[in-house]
Amino acid sequence: MTTRTIEFREALREAMSEEMREDLRVFLIGEEVAQYNGAYKVSRGMLDEFGPKRVIDTPISESGFAGMSIGAAMMGLRPIVEFMSWSFSLVAADPILNNAPKMLYMSGGQFGCPIVFRGNDGAGGQLGSTHSWCVESMFANVPGLKMAIPFTPYDAKGLLKTAIRDDDPVFFLESERLLSIEGEVPEESYTVPFGQALIRRPGTDCTIVSFGRPLYFCLEAAKTLAQEGIECEVIDGRTIKPLDIDTIVASVRKTNYCVVVDQSWSFASVGSEIASQVHQHCFDDLDNHVMRVHNDDVPAPYAYNLEQEMLPNARKICEAVRAVTYNA
Amino acid sequence: MSIEITMPRLSDTMETGTIIKWEIAEGDVVSAGDVIADVETDKATMELQVFDDGTVARILVPEGQTTDVGTIIAILAEDDEDSTKVGTESGGASSAPESQTKATSSDTTSAPPASELEAPVPTREAPAPRSNGKMKVSPVARHLADEHSVDLRHVEGTGPGGRIIKRDILKAIDAGAETQAAVPPSSITPIEPVSVATPVKSRTAAMPLVPASMGSMLQEQIIPVSNIRQIIAKRLIESKTTVPHYQVTCAFDMDPLLEMRQQLNEQLVAQQVKLSVNDFLVKCCAVAMYEHPFFNASWEGEQIRIHGEINIGIAISLPPEKGGGLVVGVIRHADQKSLRAISSETRYLAEKARGKGLSLEEMSGSTFTISNLGMFGVEHFTAIINPPNSAILAVGAAIQKPVVKQGELVVGREMSATLSSDHRVIDGAMAAQYLASLRQYIENPASLLV
Repeated sequence: MTTRTIEFREALREAMSEEMREDLRVFLIGEEVAQYNGAYKVSRGMLDEFGPKRVIDTPISESGFAGMSIGAAMMGLRPIVEFMSWSFSLVAADPILNNAPKMLYMSGGQFGCPIVFRGNDGAGGQLGSTHSWCVESMFANVPGLKMAIPFTPYDAKGLLKTAIRDDDPVFFLESERLLSIEGEVPEESYTVPFGQALIRRPGTDCTIVSFGRPLYFCLEAAKTLAQEGIECEVIDGRTIKPLDIDTIVASVRKTNYCVVVDQSWSFASVGSEIASQVHQHCFDDLDNHVMRVHNDDVPAPYAYNLEQEMLPNARKICEAVRAVTYNA
Repeated sequence: MSIEITMPRLSDTMETGTIIKWEIAEGDVVSAGDVIADVETDKATMELQVFDDGTVARILVPEGQTTDVGTIIAILAEDDEDSTKVGTESGGASSAPESQTKATSSDTTSAPPASELEAPVPTREAPAPRSNGKMKVSPVARHLADEHSVDLRHVEGTGPGGRIIKRDILKAIDAGAETQAAVPPSSITPIEPVSVATPVKSRTAAMPLVPASMGSMLQEQIIPVSNIRQIIAKRLIESKTTVPHYQVTCAFDMDPLLEMRQQLNEQLVAQQVKLSVNDFLVKCCAVAMYEHPFFNASWEGEQIRIHGEINIGIAISLPPEKGGGLVVGVIRHADQKSLRAISSETRYLAEKARGKGLSLEEMSGSTFTISNLGMFGVEHFTAIINPPNSAILAVGAAIQKPVVKQGELVVGREMSATLSSDHRVIDGAMAAQYLASLRQYIENPASLLV
């Protein structure tokens, strides 16, 4: 398998372009995806290749184009809906939460909804409180949808291709802070299946579970902690729904300690869900309760220093690992 | 002083009360007048108020449990007491006496004696022994401690609030290994192994002084009760407490039987026949039933059943690695079987019992049981009847003794056997007569061959 090094955004573009070449039902819709080549240049060149009928610019009207796309999906097309930011998806909450994930159920199986909603999720760019949403905890609460959150260009491409082929609505959470990172991606076509976590760093002393961008902080923390003699096993969950709890459980059974790092707020979150499941499955294996590192329970600040302090970061993760392993 | 809270009489006719709900938890601070529980009486569900101030030290009756009026249901510690110690010092509700003595350092007077607490102890949800019940122990630490038989009471918890964590157990395991390794071999050697072949000698031998350090090699551990031990416990308690046992002991001259056994074994060595004393006894006990059918009988309340089959059960001890315990293997129609058949069947049953285990069929249907500790050098013991049998023979070792034969003092071999009988079925004189018949067979063993 030959590989080359490409950016995260190129990996996303390749996934969409390859699937659009393979399947005429697939199209991309969103604000500035066509003529402007994407607000973040993810869809650069796609208008030229696929034309305005398959790469469609919309007005600033998330509720409208999300709802329209759900209708298209119900009628047999396979839309990719780009939200410039998941923060903007909130105005489309009714179609994306109240229609898409429930359509198959409420129509008694008559209408599925094979749609992908994708866009930037999470803070870190001094975008202020209203544009810094991490939607995973809030949206993962809804039955009927799937949720993927890639961490490398390889996974960005492989997971997005799986998302486009999936017959259920998939919430695909990217990060503006990751779009320019580079990574090795095969020339050949491939997919990354949902529900398979990956151990990004093996270790014996404490399990750290995370998704997406905070994994970088986890790996940074693991490096620091290794110098202190604490070898962390860092698990990339890759998809939140479905959740590969088995890989997490196997690791915690080995290490007896678990820290969950989740870039959403702590209350009723992905982090609390994982902690709950770990407590359920690993009760007899735990030497301490699961500890969690989340956003602080405040709206994202605009000031750079405050924003960095509010988010999960390597220092907080180190502190949590030391505390959970009684090394504080 | 700690304060005992008892189940109050909340109505004239109330004799028992059920704790529907506790409004308190151990460690809670309560004031006089606080509602601590909802109690269901024969009339209604009522609130139970506390009459004193204090800290809840122990809750002795779980929710849903019905207890008699007057039973202690909870214990309060007064302000100057450590609530975590009150109640536990008495050994707690169900802890064993030995844990009581270990757990107690000084003051045992402030709490009610264990015997008072034992009566109301709920059996349904008996609290774990003190050593595990009240301590903070992380789940994996508890697991590790169980696995390595580490006594948690001797482990210092270094986690928050004194929680015992994995690291503490690993340290204890390490320390334990070091302690054991540190005992020099020379300090162990004075203990001579007890010879099973010569019990008389070992009995009279002076007990060697055990070095003090040996004490630490025996660690208290909690051993979960296996199914087989549950069954043993249940059946033997039932037998010992409901069957009126009595014992009759008799000594037998074993010279003739042992001589014949030696002859037969020498002659049949090529056929791999190796008869044991026990094989002879199975046969003796079985054929003696013809004259004494009540030894092959069962008490059935309204009637006594004399069985038509003579099936002799043999107590087989199981090795510790199989969890110990004992089972009874059954030789069916033992009266009709040759010594050779009894011998091979016994060996088969013992091996199978200690291997993959006996089938229900192989363990059931005994009408009389023999328990033999002779191979361990035991001279005499009594056995508990194996219901629904009416008797059991406890057999000791054949031991060299000075005996008088034809007016001369000679060295003879004597075996003592004790018959435990169910007095509802078998009277003393009958037991004596049965043993007399056994003596006939044992001391004239040629008759067993025909």
